[in-house]
Amino acid sequence: MEAILQSAFVQDIATLARPALFNLYFALASIPVGFPLAVLLALGKASRFKIISRLSRGYIYAFRGSPLFIQFFMFYSMMLALNQAYLKPWGIDGVVLHPLFLGPMVLVLNTSAYGAEIFYGALKTVPKGEVEAASAMGMGRWSVFRSVTWPNMLRLAWPAYTNEMVFLFHATTLVYFTLPVVNEQKDLMNKAGELFERDYNVFLHFSVAALYFLVLSILIFWLAGLVHKRLNQHLTGRAEKIRFKPGYIR
Amino acid sequence: MLETLPDWLSGLFSEDVRSSLAYITNGKHLAWYASIRFTLIAAIGGATVAVLFGLVGAALKQSRIMPFKLIGDFYTTIVRGVPDVLFILFFPLAFEQAVEYFLARSVCEPEVLAAATQWPPCEAAQWFLTTTDYLIMACVSLGIVYGAFAANVIHGAMQAVPKGQLEAAAAYGFTPRQVFWRFKVRQMWVYALPGLSNVWMLLLKATSLLSLLQIADIVQWAARLGSANYYSRVGLVHPDWRWKYYLVLFVFFIVMTMLSERFFAALQARASRGMSLAGSD
Repeated sequence: MEAILQSAFVQDIATLARPALFNLYFALASIPVGFPLAVLLALGKASRFKIISRLSRGYIYAFRGSPLFIQFFMFYSMMLALNQAYLKPWGIDGVVLHPLFLGPMVLVLNTSAYGAEIFYGALKTVPKGEVEAASAMGMGRWSVFRSVTWPNMLRLAWPAYTNEMVFLFHATTLVYFTLPVVNEQKDLMNKAGELFERDYNVFLHFSVAALYFLVLSILIFWLAGLVHKRLNQHLTGRAEKIRFKPGYIR
Repeated sequence: MLETLPDWLSGLFSEDVRSSLAYITNGKHLAWYASIRFTLIAAIGGATVAVLFGLVGAALKQSRIMPFKLIGDFYTTIVRGVPDVLFILFFPLAFEQAVEYFLARSVCEPEVLAAATQWPPCEAAQWFLTTTDYLIMACVSLGIVYGAFAANVIHGAMQAVPKGQLEAAAAYGFTPRQVFWRFKVRQMWVYALPGLSNVWMLLLKATSLLSLLQIADIVQWAARLGSANYYSRVGLVHPDWRWKYYLVLFVFFIVMTMLSERFFAALQARASRGMSLAGSD
């Protein structure tokens, strides 16, 4: 028992537990903001107003068409450029330039674009008959949306959005490759890299970091699966089963 | 660069335009533009390796021999469950260490090897990698990562090939191996193209990570060129301009995505000539 606890593998699991919290923090801080933004952007893209539709379309295209790595660098350097003129005089430079704020901010901008594309796709496949039936019943536009379009859209988009959340969690690795590391605030890749530089044991440290990502991804997946079940509880047997496939959606 | 223009042409521009033209065509900027080659090589090389790994992965996934099927499923699952950055950093490091391990066994003195506490055990076993080595490794690691994505796409596409076509081929006396290579693989490309185009987009964006492998790619050059430029003789040439350079890269990748979309749309139209696919008739 003692020998197992002293083994390098278990030691690594213990060392990387705290860094894993940083990855989780970045994901958990971005999803609650990214989700409503994604829905709004999807509705914007489907809007009848040309300007709103064009703007949302352009935003989604730009953020899906460029690497997150560049987006991080770009926003960080933009904030640095604004620092002397605006951030410092307003006294918000400490917050805005902090990776714990800027990281989730860029992740939100990125994930809302990917999420919007998913929700837009779902919006297009909402059964037309149900919407028409609701209008025929005399429901207003808002109540049609609230009781027909929205639940259908969420249900249809959920499997793909689950994959997006897992991908977002993986994307949190990029935060500390692009933004400065403050004190001991290190994430999994950062800490694994540091451990690697001590003893050059790439197989051990990177495998343990990979294990953390794998286990946490499965956890996110399982939690999203529970939500999926709830969203589809009225469709006994008919619902498409959710699959661990963060495949070629993103 | 600007000096090579004839006088009448450079005379068309005002002094301001001329100096900014001279600035964006100076040696360092030309080196920046030239470094696009690393991105393109990594993208195309990575895509080639990815398709190869995708074919092997898909073949393994549908193998009737259990261990092969397990390997295929393990490969595609593990790569998708772990961030791509981790793999892109891990494979080159692991390969370098593996080479150094065998190098050390042949070049280091046995007693040094036994007493070694650091890596590599002796100086002679150190393998210094050049940019080309790193680029090849980047291609391979991108290929391994996105090969798993491609394996899923190709696996799905192979299932989409009409059974009748394969049965007809078998009825004509083709061996199972011939049926696989001459019919399944030939016909699956049309079904795989939309998915493969997505994988290509992912891979293209992942090439921005090359700077993590010590390659002086467009991202690293942008950081170098953009940082505040100060010479004691002339003073401050420009303040921190990195955001401008990153903005250029942001637009560059969007344009590359647009071009890729056009290319794949044309390819799809060409590949599906004469085929009745869903929605085409």
